[in-house]
Amino acid sequence: MKEGFRQAMAWLHTWTGLIFGWLLFAIFLTGTLSYFKDEISHWTQPEVQSHPLDPVTSLGLAQRYLETNAGHASTWFIRLPSEREAALSVSWRDPNGGGRRGFTDKELDARTGEAVEARDSRGGEFFYRFHFQLQMPHPWGRWLSTFCAFIMLLGLVTGIITHKKIFKEFFTFRPGKGQRSWLDGHNAIGVLVLPFHLMISYSSLVIFMYMVMPASILASYGDSSGYFNDVFGRDEVPKAVAQTAPLAPLTELYAKVQEQAPGARMGYIQVHNPGDRNARVTFTRASADSVAYQRSAIWTFDGVSGELLRRGAPESAAMTTSFTFVGLHMGNFAGPWLRWLYFAFGVAGTAVIGTGLVMWLGKRQLKHAKSARMPGELRLVEVLNIASMSGLLLGVAAFFWANRLLPATLEGRADWEINGFFLAWGASLLHAMLRSGRRAWGEQLTLGALAFALLPLLNALTSDQGLDHSIAAGDWAMAGFDLTALATGLFLAWAAGKMLRAPKPVAKHAPRAAKTVEAS
Amino acid sequence: MLGVALMGFAGFAGLCLAMEKHFNDLLGRKPTGRQLRALKITGWALLLLSLILAVHGRGWALGLVEWIAVLMAGVTLWVFGLPYQPRLLLGAALASLVLGPLLAVLAV
Repeated sequence: MKEGFRQAMAWLHTWTGLIFGWLLFAIFLTGTLSYFKDEISHWTQPEVQSHPLDPVTSLGLAQRYLETNAGHASTWFIRLPSEREAALSVSWRDPNGGGRRGFTDKELDARTGEAVEARDSRGGEFFYRFHFQLQMPHPWGRWLSTFCAFIMLLGLVTGIITHKKIFKEFFTFRPGKGQRSWLDGHNAIGVLVLPFHLMISYSSLVIFMYMVMPASILASYGDSSGYFNDVFGRDEVPKAVAQTAPLAPLTELYAKVQEQAPGARMGYIQVHNPGDRNARVTFTRASADSVAYQRSAIWTFDGVSGELLRRGAPESAAMTTSFTFVGLHMGNFAGPWLRWLYFAFGVAGTAVIGTGLVMWLGKRQLKHAKSARMPGELRLVEVLNIASMSGLLLGVAAFFWANRLLPATLEGRADWEINGFFLAWGASLLHAMLRSGRRAWGEQLTLGALAFALLPLLNALTSDQGLDHSIAAGDWAMAGFDLTALATGLFLAWAAGKMLRAPKPVAKHAPRAAKTVEAS
Repeated sequence: MLGVALMGFAGFAGLCLAMEKHFNDLLGRKPTGRQLRALKITGWALLLLSLILAVHGRGWALGLVEWIAVLMAGVTLWVFGLPYQPRLLLGAALASLVLGPLLAVLAV
């Protein structure tokens, strides 16, 4: 009875893992990249210079810029530069203006307050959006990725049941033994990083819960883009009365917020009806300031008198719980070292899925090791494995190469970067179909190794933000990107070397042969 | 948090050595029952102590999150490094056992 149950769980683990593994791999990889969303965006827009933080000066500059350039707007949004974001972002909505639904956004230099003409790029935002929207029309991508989160949770639970020797083999990893090592690796990363895996997949479902009522959750993303329209436009703000009145200096209101919450960092600042007697200014605390997203960390002022009108409503216990899961998933609160750990655990999650896919195939390939041709269904899985893993990495690399090589004046430039991502991904699928399994792996990994390892060089040649400059200037977001790309390239080169050199699949009962491979 | 991380690392190393199979492999001799029990108790005590220090230093929210994060990182490093660099890791565990509490006490 008990064994029957375990076998059923193993079956479920094996097949849901295969069917959703390819997509989950992409979701995990892009999600992992999203932990460095701002840093990636910084790299993709090297025109925006990073300066030491000075929120008061930046806020003054933002107000001056908006008063000059968006005096008639109905709403302003300001995002101050942070440890991770170099730009002082301002945007405004002008019902009579152009742009996307009357929405314009600009990035200002944090020191001069001048608009920076940065290249058009989605940057880290692309990977972030892909992570849960999968480049599909709304809302299908969100539903599909949420379903994948459910499958991931299912995979974890069924995996734990299937594994059975969790404590006995807690510390076990035996390399150089073919299938055995893959299973050890799969189990060890799965079990050792289990708290992260569980948190990530469960919290995705919590986020999904809010998809039905998006208002509160979108506020916690705290990013710019068209969401402001839908989400914050319906705030309870009095209508403009068409009586001009000067807006109080935002820096003074900022000082009042600092009195109430010393050292609070600001997520964004919103001004309704600027220049009108009914102006309202709302400060929202940065999500970086606490693990859980806090709705209560909001201050609303009368924009003319500067009087504090309202503080955000406090959260209920249930809300705090779900906001904690949302906060844990996004990791906005994480400082540099914890962010790196988040990234590493994300890579671990990606690796669990990848090793699972490799094992599914490896186990079945052994049965056909003697026959000249692999059965069609196994070949299909092999091609999809290659395209979904090494191919996706090539797509990511292509995105960054396109970012540096496409001319700044190109029409629809940001879209072409994304096209580059998908074209490279598609090409890798074609390549995997045309080449034999091992060759396809080796060649794609080699290309990936070159593409990533050369990114720092490309950056140095096409911008003035190369490693020599960024390290000297202490711009660690920029330098960190380059160094990570280099490390990724080296890792892929190592993997490619294994693929190109090692002989055909290691037989299950030949541990000695496996050992000599390891030694060589 | 580095002190907490090192203590957690040493704690997991202790729990690993508390398993007869790993003790044999790593130290090349058979353990006595008492040694295994002592290692087990020390290991758990280090983990518990590191949790207390993390929560004490960083509060419940951040303390718990960071504690779990450094523990996962440490044990992953241990398990995947062990087949390649067992001596280095044993040395690191020993160093962590000394440095961890020292750093943690200095931070308090």
